[in-house]
Amino acid sequence: MNDQMGGGESSASPPVVSLRNLSKSFGATRAVADVSFDIHAGQVVGLVGENGAGKSTVGKIIAGMHSPDSGRIIINGAERQLKSPFEGIRAGVSMMAQEITLVPDRSVEENIFLGDLPRRGPLPNRAEMRRRYDELVEFTQFDLSPSAKVSSLRIADQQKVEIMRTISQQAKVVVMDEPSAALTADEVQRLHQSIRKIAAGGVAVLLISHFLEEVLDLTNQVVVMRDGELIRVSPTSEETVDSLVSGMVGRTLVTEYGQTKEASTGNVRLDVARLNRTGMLHDISFTVRAGEILGLAGLIGSGRSEIARAILGADPKDSGTIRVDGNELRARTPSDAIKRGVFMVPENRKEQGLVLIGSIYSNLLMASFSRLATLGVTIVSKMKKQAQALAKSVDLRFSDISQPAGSLSGGNQQKILFGRAIEINPSVLIVDEPTRGVDIAAKRAIHGILEERAAEGTAVLFISSELEEVLGVCNRILVVHGGRIEAEFYPPYNKEAVVSAFFGKKWKVQ
Amino acid sequence: MIEKIRSYGIVGVFLGLFIVLAVSSSSFLSVRNATNILDQSAILLIFAATTTVSVIAGVFDLSIAAVATASAILTVTSINAFGIGPGIILGLLFGTLLGAVTGFAITSTNVNSFIGTLAASFTYRGLGLILASGGLVTIADRDVVDNLLAVTEGRYFGVKGAVWIALVFVLLVGLMLSKTVFGRKIYAVGGNREAAYLAGIRTTRVLISVYALSGFGAGLAGVIYAGRYASGATNAFSDTLVFTAIAAAVVGGVSIFGGSGAVWRGVLGVLTFALIGNGLNLLGVDTTYQLTILGLLIFLAVAADQVFRRTART
Repeated sequence: MNDQMGGGESSASPPVVSLRNLSKSFGATRAVADVSFDIHAGQVVGLVGENGAGKSTVGKIIAGMHSPDSGRIIINGAERQLKSPFEGIRAGVSMMAQEITLVPDRSVEENIFLGDLPRRGPLPNRAEMRRRYDELVEFTQFDLSPSAKVSSLRIADQQKVEIMRTISQQAKVVVMDEPSAALTADEVQRLHQSIRKIAAGGVAVLLISHFLEEVLDLTNQVVVMRDGELIRVSPTSEETVDSLVSGMVGRTLVTEYGQTKEASTGNVRLDVARLNRTGMLHDISFTVRAGEILGLAGLIGSGRSEIARAILGADPKDSGTIRVDGNELRARTPSDAIKRGVFMVPENRKEQGLVLIGSIYSNLLMASFSRLATLGVTIVSKMKKQAQALAKSVDLRFSDISQPAGSLSGGNQQKILFGRAIEINPSVLIVDEPTRGVDIAAKRAIHGILEERAAEGTAVLFISSELEEVLGVCNRILVVHGGRIEAEFYPPYNKEAVVSAFFGKKWKVQ
Repeated sequence: MIEKIRSYGIVGVFLGLFIVLAVSSSSFLSVRNATNILDQSAILLIFAATTTVSVIAGVFDLSIAAVATASAILTVTSINAFGIGPGIILGLLFGTLLGAVTGFAITSTNVNSFIGTLAASFTYRGLGLILASGGLVTIADRDVVDNLLAVTEGRYFGVKGAVWIALVFVLLVGLMLSKTVFGRKIYAVGGNREAAYLAGIRTTRVLISVYALSGFGAGLAGVIYAGRYASGATNAFSDTLVFTAIAAAVVGGVSIFGGSGAVWRGVLGVLTFALIGNGLNLLGVDTTYQLTILGLLIFLAVAADQVFRRTART
């Protein structure tokens, strides 16, 4: 594999980047623990792991966006302490983020030289810019019109602009975080060509990706991470999809969630039939029973949240029927859905869930202002009393029920949303990533609330990117991949089979 | 602590200003001066109240001066055609309707409220011109004029009728915002529209109502104008009033980003401006400098707010 990309020479030479014993924690969460590996010039190194394994954090540390708590970064033989992306760029490391960071209304050229525009006095030096652009084209072999507006380009071509920018910044190492996540199949091919070209030119690429086929296809070496730890570094030629999956998942199914769940036999409360939304959802059909917690698992961007939003009426659907307790729900807004007993705790509590500057009590009661009022007039004492009761039922910790919701910890903010759900007492409760960024105690409490709701007959639709949690909490699991339901699993779960379905590999129900 | 200073700083500024003026000018603490200040502020109080509501809801309504102008003209022509009662009702309805139309247009197209209401403002000014046939309309019947004047300019407990009308309106808007379900929804929509939507609040309906209320306030201002001057002119209300109302709300402590504030804050902002203008007059400051001083003071108040916010966050 190495000699294919001139790597015979580079692996003999010292590495461009060496990571030694890197560790990084965010609060109580250990994101990266004791990670060491090397990246050589002209090589593409794949970095794989489950959601939350610490891949992006490693990428960001190399690019100077996070400083490690301990450990060393050696770039071109010199130890560096990068304090900002700017310092990373100066040291020769550029990061291509998941989101495109171009100025859409300016030309390709201008975007490439954005921070470093060639100039003559106060005016831009167009001739010099074109000369440097031509040099870049010679190196990358990308065929873009330098004067084209970036907004007129397809995403794969916009990524080329980003890549050229990193090369123009004299990058020796380019970190790419999920570069193909937003691309069509055809564009993925173009991206792969781009990556091969810059590697052939001697640049080292660290490719963080969920797409294992892509990693196997493009890379010389693969780094496998799990729970922040380095599992192994091996030549790509020795790996397969199966070997990577088992490395990412681990052999043992350690369960922190006591007993195994059983399939539920209650009445069907939510029935979704042939739900379609062009380009997003394809023929989604499933049911959720009273007392059941149904897990919707899959990668970020696979369409899980879109299913939830379509049921709630927050996004339009092209076709399909949704029934709640046997009656058809035609929700055009979330307000319609809530009236018919469908409530959602949204994915992003800060952006979609809470009014952060609003008080705890009005956030708790936001979905039920009208019910607590007399002739449209609210009585604060009555509201506060009701809010206190709700706060108690979700074990919310606060000093004053009037304090702003934004002053609480992530876990407590999330509990507000569950309090809101309890006040509504819905037939169907949809929760989207309810435990993201909350501490372990709050997580347990949230699982407890969900189980309690289910025990009282609510149908719970549980969306989570954290596999352990889905396996531990759900009575049944559907895996969503590319806007389709890829597979269905009943307990006891085979973890590797579930993870394989994440990547679009069909497994028989066992 | 810092949060409290930020929250109630304007009250301190107002009281401080009040004390300084009371000490330094003998004529400040007179009933006549107080009623004077109120007389001059009546229209601005109405505008500040509705502007406070729209800013809390997370939107701007820059069209209120234009709506008020169009309403004043329509009120005069309706009084001439149908008499006092129907004329006033039509004037109020017209303002409300224009506000609702603005709200509907903006929410259904998702146009930014700043530019959308700016466009609406031109349109409604043009509408006023058409209604007035390009000139000035006056109330023809002398008795009608006298009756209207008796209400608006007559003094009740020392305060003009027009001011009482404005004060009652402001009080009702304040109660609506702080005590009703509708008010709660306005705070939620302004604080985080997406969150409010997902929690089942019909955000579009709330916003259209906010614009309609804003239009009703402008209609009321138009009716008061018609009653005071017995006429409707195409330049009855200047757009400067709109920006003064926004400035008053912000100086009073209403967040320009939406979701927090109260009607009393808008009122306090208006009164602070009035005190500053009044004080500068009483202290004999040349009127040439007053606008500059007022502008600098507004900037200072808002800058101080930003600094407090930053300190509170870290």
